[in-house]
Amino acid sequence: MPVYKVNVLIENKPYISDPEGDTILKDLVLKGGYHQVRSIRVAKMLKVEVEAKSVEEAREMVRRMCDELRLYNPMLSICKVE
Amino acid sequence: MPKVSTMSLTDEEIRYLRDAIAREPNSVELSMVSAEWSEHCSYKSSKPYLKIFSTEGRYVLVGPGYDAGVLDIGDGMLLTVHIESHNHPSAVEPYGGAATGIGGVIRDILSMGSRPIALLNALRFGDIRHDNHARWLFKNVVRGIADYGNCIGVPTVAGEVEFDDSFTNYCLVDVACIGIARRDRLVMLKGDADDLIVVAGNRTGRDGIHGASFASRAFEGEEEDRSAVQIPDPFMGKLLIDATMECVEKGCVKAIKDLGGGGLACCLSETADRLGKGMLVMLDALHVRESMSAEEMMISESQERMLYIVEPSRLEEFKAIMDKYEIPYSVLGRLTDDGYLSIYHDGKQVARIKASIVANAPIARRNAVKPPYIEEIAANSRKPEMPEYEDVAEIILELLADPSIASKEWVYRQYDHEVGLRTVVKPGYADASVLRIGLRHDRDDEDADGKYRYIAVKVDGNSKHCYIDPYNGSMGCFSEACRNVACVGAEPIAMVDHLQFGSPEDEHVFWTFIESVRGLADYGRYMKIPCVGGKVSFYNETRQGAIKPTPLVCVVGLVGDGSMVMKGHAGDGDMLMIIGLTKDEMGGSEYYEYIHSTLSADVPKVDLEYDKHARDAVLALVRSGLLTSVHDCSKGGLAVAIAEMCIASGIGARVELSNVPHTCTRLDDLLFSESHSRFLVSLRRDYLDAVNRVLADYPVHKAVIGAFNSDSDSLLLEYKGSSISISMDSMLDAYSSIARLMGHGG
Repeated sequence: MPVYKVNVLIENKPYISDPEGDTILKDLVLKGGYHQVRSIRVAKMLKVEVEAKSVEEAREMVRRMCDELRLYNPMLSICKVE
Repeated sequence: MPKVSTMSLTDEEIRYLRDAIAREPNSVELSMVSAEWSEHCSYKSSKPYLKIFSTEGRYVLVGPGYDAGVLDIGDGMLLTVHIESHNHPSAVEPYGGAATGIGGVIRDILSMGSRPIALLNALRFGDIRHDNHARWLFKNVVRGIADYGNCIGVPTVAGEVEFDDSFTNYCLVDVACIGIARRDRLVMLKGDADDLIVVAGNRTGRDGIHGASFASRAFEGEEEDRSAVQIPDPFMGKLLIDATMECVEKGCVKAIKDLGGGGLACCLSETADRLGKGMLVMLDALHVRESMSAEEMMISESQERMLYIVEPSRLEEFKAIMDKYEIPYSVLGRLTDDGYLSIYHDGKQVARIKASIVANAPIARRNAVKPPYIEEIAANSRKPEMPEYEDVAEIILELLADPSIASKEWVYRQYDHEVGLRTVVKPGYADASVLRIGLRHDRDDEDADGKYRYIAVKVDGNSKHCYIDPYNGSMGCFSEACRNVACVGAEPIAMVDHLQFGSPEDEHVFWTFIESVRGLADYGRYMKIPCVGGKVSFYNETRQGAIKPTPLVCVVGLVGDGSMVMKGHAGDGDMLMIIGLTKDEMGGSEYYEYIHSTLSADVPKVDLEYDKHARDAVLALVRSGLLTSVHDCSKGGLAVAIAEMCIASGIGARVELSNVPHTCTRLDDLLFSESHSRFLVSLRRDYLDAVNRVLADYPVHKAVIGAFNSDSDSLLLEYKGSSISISMDSMLDAYSSIARLMGHGG
């Protein structure tokens, strides 16, 4: 069976605060002189290699895995599978 | 976008409000009032009943009603103590909910001008053996507590965990915090007209909008409650601790208040009401994360924010401290003499209402009726079949593996319990933790002249007992917490409680609440242990209905001096003695519920006089230095307590069960009864006479029931000529069930 590479992006929903991103912006970026930077949000990416019959099946399976095993909290984060 | 609504106000309350202000409230006023009049902030159902607690005592400087209770432990040193829960947010987002719960209780301690030095937690979940969701909640709650506590450098020193099906799809996350302050630096609420109102800390955003109202409604599942997610920012939490302590040290703030549930609405109205002042507030000055309406700003529950009242002449000094820690702040307005909260936004007055009206919700009269299930349990109580003699060993092992009994090492190993270098007795080493507090010095952790105070802390609860018999169950929790601090050599000096129930609008739930308060109050009054603070949390309901009644008791004890701290283990050849009487009181026991899934009405009852004698006897023994270890006998009964002593000491023992003072007719009752007021102590053989001499002064049952033996690698329980043998290895294995269930990595 072919192996597909599926990227899973997990980030806080836009209206939920992100102290880590804020700290990077404030303490590293702005203090480092990059005043053009408006905002920074931290996200997590899982690079998954999965055996599947098709792209669709691979994506579907990874999606199910993330939901079932609670790899993210749907209350808090958005999870994009691509 | 979360909608601002007044859904939490009843028609009656809206009428009351209308009468009080003699006009229609506008939408901002309605939002403020509905946040503050929520059960969570106003105690509108519970207030009349909390008055029965005894709140005065030798050590009490400030009792209930402030952000934390204050105890005077002498030599100019004060202890502050408070307890909070974060149940609803943790059920939705366990990591952030638990972490922000820690942040909240720490800010309550800060509000008195005291430095947080220790955290305790009490956690409750569904069945982690069979339920993935319960495991997910458990794992992330513990991680949330660990990460936040570890980041801000406050040790988590003690706790308690219980598992019960009534918490399925839900959890109870309670955190208590202990603080210290010098007497001359205690910050009580003070303020005069024209003093400035400053909010410092995180920028205000839309998170946690309507959290207080959310916590005052039954929990209906995840999807509807997305607005209640709160994000922890421990770094800001730590900066706020340091900046606040510096402000306190310099004396440049007159009042400090945490922005918690209900946001600015509650914080401003309660502060103004307490001061007997009004406030002029310019919301445009507030530092925000996004553009928000006045309603949203007033009720946002963004974390890590504090309110300070600063005299104008000290503002520059205050600003310099905040700037040094890079904490954003805004001067919102000033105090006035008129008693009104006057709120301005966009150049317009958006609310003008008396603080005393907002801060004092009308009392909600609730009906209380004894729930029918209690009678049903009584009518259907019958004893399970006596197990075959050869199966008893297996039952003991099963109980040791029961997650409510098994080692909580998986939990506390994730916590930093030593940061601050004052944890003398650490989790897992004794029944309560002991903290060392240096005296007469600016830096409390430095030893100026060798003068220390030692305090012991422990939190206890027992949902199973309290469900079947809320009066005796609650009293038992209080007794257990007191026994635990006595085990390390401390005299209980005060308690804070946290009362967690389902909806107070349910007459059956409300009856259990009143019974529980009575139980705690009766115990406290008899023992002269005052209640110095606490919380009530109602509406803890899931789709299956109300949770089991869960009052928690956190007891603070004072140890005479450091040499009296008890933290040893039983040694080879030590004798095992039991103090107390084992009775046939099996209701709510882990043996009945976990092993036999059977409910029985006869929950253990505390005999107040006997309980006091037993505890005093053990304290006298510990303080005379005659014991090598002490262990409270509670969940799982005598069998589990003996096994735990063997496990903790790493040696086997031989016990003659017929020597145990008891009134039981069956072996399983004798082994697994959870009767109160019992202690197991170990002592060197040559001290037996001395121990007996001390005990002669106390009218309590006592008997030598066995001895520890390092040659033996098993626990041998003998009874009427037969014996039950359990190997140390199998006990250790059973006792580590939680680590196995959760995976070793955490």
